[in-house]
Order: sequence, then structure tokens, then C-alpha cells
Amino acid sequence: MSRKFLPNFISVTVSVLLTLIIAGCFLYFIGKDPVMVFSKMFEDVFGTGYGIGQTIFKTTPLILCGCGLALCFHVSAFNIGAEGQINIGAFLMAVIVFYLDDYIGYFAFPVAVLAGFAASALWGFIPAIIKVKREVSEVITTIMLNFVAFALVNYLLMEKVAVKSTVRTPEIINSLFLPKLSEYIPSLQGSSANITFIFALALAVFLYFIIYKTIYGYRMRSVGINPVASKYMGININRIYILTFIIGAGITSFVGINFIFGYKGYYELGFSSNLGFTAIAVSLLAKNNPIGIIFSAFLFGILDFGGLAVNNMVPKEIMLVLQALVILSILITDKLVNKYITKTANA
Amino acid sequence: MLDIIISLSFITQVIRMFTPYYLGASAANFSERGGVINIAIEGFMILSAFSYAFFTISFGYPMLSLLLSLIAGIAFSFLFSLFTIKLKINQIITGVGFNLLMAGLAKFFMMYFYNSSSNTPNFQSLPKLPILSLIPFQGNIIADAIIVFSFLLIFISQKLIFKTRFGLRLRSAGENPEAAESLGIKVRFYKTSGIVICGVLSSLGGIWLASSQQTFSDGMIAGRGYIALAAMIIGKWKPVNIFAACLMFSFFEALEITFQMTGSVIPTQFIQMLPYIMTIIVLVGFIGRTRPPAADGIPY
Repeated sequence: MSRKFLPNFISVTVSVLLTLIIAGCFLYFIGKDPVMVFSKMFEDVFGTGYGIGQTIFKTTPLILCGCGLALCFHVSAFNIGAEGQINIGAFLMAVIVFYLDDYIGYFAFPVAVLAGFAASALWGFIPAIIKVKREVSEVITTIMLNFVAFALVNYLLMEKVAVKSTVRTPEIINSLFLPKLSEYIPSLQGSSANITFIFALALAVFLYFIIYKTIYGYRMRSVGINPVASKYMGININRIYILTFIIGAGITSFVGINFIFGYKGYYELGFSSNLGFTAIAVSLLAKNNPIGIIFSAFLFGILDFGGLAVNNMVPKEIMLVLQALVILSILITDKLVNKYITKTANA
Repeated sequence: MLDIIISLSFITQVIRMFTPYYLGASAANFSERGGVINIAIEGFMILSAFSYAFFTISFGYPMLSLLLSLIAGIAFSFLFSLFTIKLKINQIITGVGFNLLMAGLAKFFMMYFYNSSSNTPNFQSLPKLPILSLIPFQGNIIADAIIVFSFLLIFISQKLIFKTRFGLRLRSAGENPEAAESLGIKVRFYKTSGIVICGVLSSLGGIWLASSQQTFSDGMIAGRGYIALAAMIIGKWKPVNIFAACLMFSFFEALEITFQMTGSVIPTQFIQMLPYIMTIIVLVGFIGRTRPPAADGIPY
């Protein structure tokens, strides 16, 4: 770990700087003052309790989904299907809690979360088993399953459970809403940050230990780095691959907790707004290290809320461009830093 | 039911759906024949559709917009090849990044120039071919240069990939780059060519969509870039089979639209799922084994 820390740190820092420079030039080119835009952004994000709270709220799902994807990436499973997995899981979560909360009250929460996890895990199981049994790349199957998930959720929602003339499920009962962080830290007043954030942090730390400090984690990484060698070491590579993939896919469903129980109280069509793809970048930026994901998720969270903050100067969609630039520049800097290191090591 | 399907307007609809699918699918095919997986077809279509809209609204010359949008597509193709060929970065992640970038750029500029998150103002479509539009009834379709081109593309790409020196070398770059290189073939050149052809064709698909709808709206590409990938896989990387796959998908989409208007027993969402589920079934191997180019997706 420590040996790889410095180069990783350098390449991440350089890529973020590179993004800011490109974005700055871009803003300058369209006639805006980049310094003003960025300072306004940081002012609004960090200047008020509300800004910090909203940033935390935007960060939470990125940590959750990023962690789930990190697991998949550690076994070299390119899960491009988080978007579909999230929607299947979160939708089922909302539906189950709506049907059960009248009968079993608080117990509806764990039941719904487990059901959501199971549904997302199942959506991850399909590409995993196809990969293991038929050697078909998970990239294409997960992309295809995204669209199947959208259509399936759309059908079930619109035909069966949606509130009339909306695209959402009925609301859950009030007592099931998770406590807001502002109940403990009053200065966050008004923001939607809720205790899902604490859960996300705990999950990230927990996964860090699983991945780097347990035998299972060791096997997982071994399968990801060199499946053939792992096989001869006596690791059941297929089992590790499938298990890790479905747990990772299952974790992405937790995004629904933040939205349904922490914020709106219902599932809404399109709530995930490309989260499944952005989270790929979050995990990638952190080298699939869950602790690192907390930080990279924060960066993306800042961009997410920061976009709203500067919306009256530049359209908030600038942040979509920024997020994409972060991914592309980290890819380049990683490559160049690695190249430089191997060059100096050989010299 | 049957009378709807054999009606002239239905067939027209199928042909219109077919055009962007086939352009996208052959685009993906050229890239993958050279061994580069490009999942950013969707992004290329979005950006080119928007840039056609932007240039037409700004300058008012559709042909000029076509040219400029294609140039933009080529520029992004070279950027893509910088990532995937020069720097040998993972093609899938690059594709995800490009998709996010190009969709983000289109959204941003739409807001910036037209202050709308949903659609641009209306604009002119590309001019029709003059003589052919005089043909009775479907003159509109036959006189549309891009539609005609997409049908010609079946023969062009079949010929280009399997019957020319360029195609042979492109395929060798996708099947066994080391062997190709040892025979003196400039593998990187052919891979880059594959990506650039891919960029041009997918951009053409986006341009056609914008031109035919005379507006650019957010989400108008609606996953067509991914359906194109699906069609390429079902078509087993062969231009003629891809043609059949695209025709099938466009038939289903036209059917879906008809059902939406007339109401049907099958929920339209299930028709939407069909291409994707079929792709998975084909991949799993229930309908004959498919085999991608041997070095597909491996950086060289």
C-alpha cells in the first residue's frame, strides 16, 4: 500500500489540477471569469452549514455506489450496470416498504433494505454467471441489463404502483424517515444530509478492512490481478468472482436508502441520474480503495452541489463536463506517472 | 394488426428507425474489427446531433453544419484513439468517460446557448436529393441522402472489410496485432482508421436524427448507440447480418410506436426490452456461438 501511495497521490492531484486548468480555460473561452466561478463555488459549498449539508447529501450515494463498484473492480469485473442495479434495488425497496409499513411498522425498513439488496444482487448475478459459465464479457451484458432494468421498472411502476399522473411510488409513513444530520449538528439546518452518510462512512471503512486485511479480500484481489495464478493457488476463482460481483451489485442498492428513507420518501423514475456511471469515476479515482472513495466521492459531491451554487453564472451542467474531465485526466496521469516510475526504476 | 404492418407508413417508419441503427452498428463494427471496443457510440451520436443543431441554428447552412459536425466527430475520434491506442488506456473506461463528456457538453451548451434543458429551437433539415424527390409516394425517403447512404453502406462495408487490402489489414489488427506487425503492417494506423471511420459513421447517425426531427432534444438519442452495439453483436460482426439485426430492431421500434398510438395487449416496455434481452441470449450462445475479433478490447 504505502509503496503505491505516493505515485497514486501525485497522479490524482495532477489530474484534479489538470481538470481545473482545462475547465478554467473552457470558462475563459466562453467569456466567464474562472476565478470568480470557482471561488463562488467554494464559498457556497463550504461557507454555509446548508452548503456543507447538501454536499454531504450528494456525496452519500457516491460513496455507497462507489464502494459497491470497487468490489466488482477488485475482481476485474467491469460492472457498467450499476445504473440498472440501483434502479431495480431502490424500486423494490420503495414498493416493499410501502406495502409493509402499515403492518409491521419499523420492521418494514430492514425487510425493504434486504429485499433491495437481494434484487440488485440478482441483477449482478446474471452477468456474473454468464461470464463464468459462457465466458461472455460482463461489459456488454451489464450494459444490456441496464436497459432491461429501466424498461422493467418503468413497466412495474407505471402499470402497477405509481401514484396517478406521476412517475413515483406512494410515499412511506413519516415515522420511517431516517433522522437528519441536522438533528445532531444544528448548523446543517435545512439540508437533506441524513444518517445514511454515517452508514456510508462505516461501510467504506468496513470494506477497506475486508479488502486489504482479510483472507477473503486477499483472494479477491488475487483473482482480479491474476486469475490463472489464483486458480493454481487453490482459490475457487469462480466462486470468489460471483460472490464479490453480487455483493458489490447489492451494495449499490443502498443508494436507495439515502433517497427514499433519507430524503423523498418514495422511488421516482430517473432518481439515479447517471449515478451508476459517475460512481465508476469515483471508484477509479480512488484506485478502488474504499477509504479513498470517501474523498473522491466528496470531490464529486462538491462538483454536484457546486454546480447549483454557480448556476446563475454558468449553467450547472458545466459540472457534468467537469466530472467527465476528471475521469479522462486521471486515466492520462495514471498512465504517465506509471510510465515515469517504471522508467526511473529501470534506469 | 397485419394491415398496420404492411401499410406504407409503417414501412417508412421502419426505414427511418433503421438508418441511425445501421450507421451506429457499422460504426461500432469498424472499430471492433480493428480491435478497439468503442462503447461511446451513444456519446458520438449525442454530440454530433447537437453540433448539427448548433451550427444550423447559428449559420443556417445545413450542408456546412453536416461538414462541421463530421469534423467534430473526427476530432473526438482522434482524441479517443489518443487514449486507447497511443496511451493504451482501458477502452471501456475511456468509453464511459467519453460518453459522460459528450453528453455533458451537449447538455451544457444547450443550456448556455438556448437556455433550455429540454430542447433547442427548430432548424432546417438537410436538403433532399433533387431528382429523386420527384418519385411518387415515398420520394421523401428515397431522396434522403443519409438514408440512401445507410443502405449502400451494407455493400460498402461488406466490400471494404472482406474484399480490400485495407479491410484485411484492419481485421488482422483486430485478430492478431503482433503477427500483423511482424508482417510489416502498421497496426496502429489501421486501428486509428477503424476508430475514425467509427466516429464518422456514428456522427452521421446523430446528424441524421437531428436533421430529420429538426430539433435537438435532451435524451433524443435514447440509447440508440447501445442498441447499435447490440445489433453489431447479434450480427456477429458481419455487415450483412448486422443489417438483418438492425432491420429487426427497427421493426420492433416501429411496432412499439404504433402500439403506443393504438394501444396493444403487449406492454410497450416489453418490446423495448427485446433487443437487449435478445443480445444477452445470443451472447450466451443459445442461438449459435458468436465470436468477437480475437484481440478485441486488448490495448496494442
